[in-house]
Amino acid sequence: MGTIIKAEGLKKSFDGFEAVKGIDMEVEAGEIFGFLGPNGAGKTTSIRMLTTMVRPTSGKIIINGFSLDKDLTEAKASIGVCQQHISLDKDITVRQNIKHHAILHKMPAKEIGPRMGELSELMGLGPHMDKKVTELSGGWKRKTSIVCSIMHRPKILFLDEPTAGLDTKSRHMLWDMIRELNRSGTTIFLTTHYIEEAEDLCGRVAILNQGTIVALGSPKELCDSIGYITVEYSGDDGKKSMRQFPDRQSGKEFMAKLKEDTAMSLRKTTLEDVFLIATGEEYSEGGV
Amino acid sequence: MPRILDESYRVAWGDLCYFKENAPTILISCLIGPLLYLVAFGYGIGSGMESGIDGYIRFIIPGVISMATLSATFSFISSKILIQKLFYASFDELMLCPIRPSSVVLGKTLVGILRGICSCAIILAIGVLISPGIKVTAFLFLLVFISSLTFSLLGILAGLLAKKHNSLTVFSSLVIVPMTFFCGTIFDVSNVPAILGYAIYALPLTHPTEAIRAVMLDLPIPWLSVAAICVYCILFFVLDYCIIKRRSF
Ligand SMILES: Nc1ncnc2c1ncn2[C@@H]1O[C@H](COP(=O)(O)OP(=O)(O)OP(=O)(O)O)[C@@H](O)[C@H]1O
Ligand SMILES: [Mg+2]
Repeated sequence: MGTIIKAEGLKKSFDGFEAVKGIDMEVEAGEIFGFLGPNGAGKTTSIRMLTTMVRPTSGKIIINGFSLDKDLTEAKASIGVCQQHISLDKDITVRQNIKHHAILHKMPAKEIGPRMGELSELMGLGPHMDKKVTELSGGWKRKTSIVCSIMHRPKILFLDEPTAGLDTKSRHMLWDMIRELNRSGTTIFLTTHYIEEAEDLCGRVAILNQGTIVALGSPKELCDSIGYITVEYSGDDGKKSMRQFPDRQSGKEFMAKLKEDTAMSLRKTTLEDVFLIATGEEYSEGGV
Repeated sequence: MPRILDESYRVAWGDLCYFKENAPTILISCLIGPLLYLVAFGYGIGSGMESGIDGYIRFIIPGVISMATLSATFSFISSKILIQKLFYASFDELMLCPIRPSSVVLGKTLVGILRGICSCAIILAIGVLISPGIKVTAFLFLLVFISSLTFSLLGILAGLLAKKHNSLTVFSSLVIVPMTFFCGTIFDVSNVPAILGYAIYALPLTHPTEAIRAVMLDLPIPWLSVAAICVYCILFFVLDYCIIKRRSF
């Protein structure tokens, strides 16, 4: 289907501190692309550059065929963004916020009402529509932001930790909604700290650490790259360790060599294991 | 042209909702200052003047109207921009939508202009009651409009440049407050020493004051001042436009 988001040599410095150190990536149209990384890795900064809110220190971005250097307005027309930090106007009501968003994105007036009704019902926002934003709980604010970001049916949807602060039921509902949007052709670019969910949802993920991409590929490719089988065991000092193996057999051989009374288990490698290793946060010297 | 108006209205929509729901408090808050000056200076100081109280009241009404185009717009707009930028982050949403920077700038001035025109209209009504001789023309409203626009644009500039609330307060007390008093609003600028006079003429509020006073007191229109207001207006617009276009705030 072709590339819809392209970043080349993307860098961002804040007063000499380099938060993003040169990112190159391409996202295909119709993909769900996960952007993972520990706190402070530079995910939000990258999203803010990709969505035109922050000017990169250097590098090139092309969104839906439009270069952000030249055709900023055209690029903006094809994106929807739900930011990590709630960005609603707290002086007006939920309904007014959503409507203002639709007006800013030039939705035809007669489409706004029905679309707003449909989405607020889906999110269960109905009873809160006429409240001031300040009267809402954190989760409801998040839901309002999500409704705003998809109101104008963007071609590319950027979600920066959309599930932060949502209860379990709402989180599942949101993942379903993301799948549904993706089925209808929306490209999704999302960050999350729930790695097992990213593994479930994303066609491809990039793992970011200290401003650089340290791993990129489908969850399966990434798991296979470090070893398809993981053995978890407690070391002599009682600390939990893990080690990856290319197949079950070599995993079992390794387990046989461990002390008899060691707590150990053998399982499939998960994206979380990849994440821990790639970001250097694994609880032992893992890797094969 | 229609496109920029359409887009500006879209930008202003949220602020207009807030304005509609809170119109009485918003208007009262911006009327208090000018009306206090009118009473305190007009009746207080004016009564001791040679020209007599009526002459000074006639002199001060245009000054207070000009003052209102500044006081009703600048602080309201600058703090709104700063809050939307720093605390609500809703300014981000504005930067995310397919609206051109020029429309964002103009849209953000709209509530300011509305506030300026409404408060000037109310002061004008009071002015006509207490000093029936003053003139009210369409050109007067045009001047009030341009002046409100200019100081709204200045408000946007200050709001965009300020990194914290404190810097806005400092700018206000160092520049805006002296300007309200010195720019010919309550005394005749031609009476001050030449050096101070030049400084006063460099300040943007002096020019609407002179022009508005000329219209209301039926004096020859100071076209140079009218041109100066327009120059300030364009200057502030261009600065706002560049900052928003370059996203350097
Ligand atoms: N406006 C700013 N000024 C200075 N430093 C900043 C600014 N924004 C971000 N940073 C720094 O850039 C780095 C990356 O921040 P960023 O918000 O992109 O991280 P993140 O990956 O989104 O983290 P999290 O998972 O916590 O949301 C951090 O070290 C942060 O302190
Ligand atoms: Mg973040």
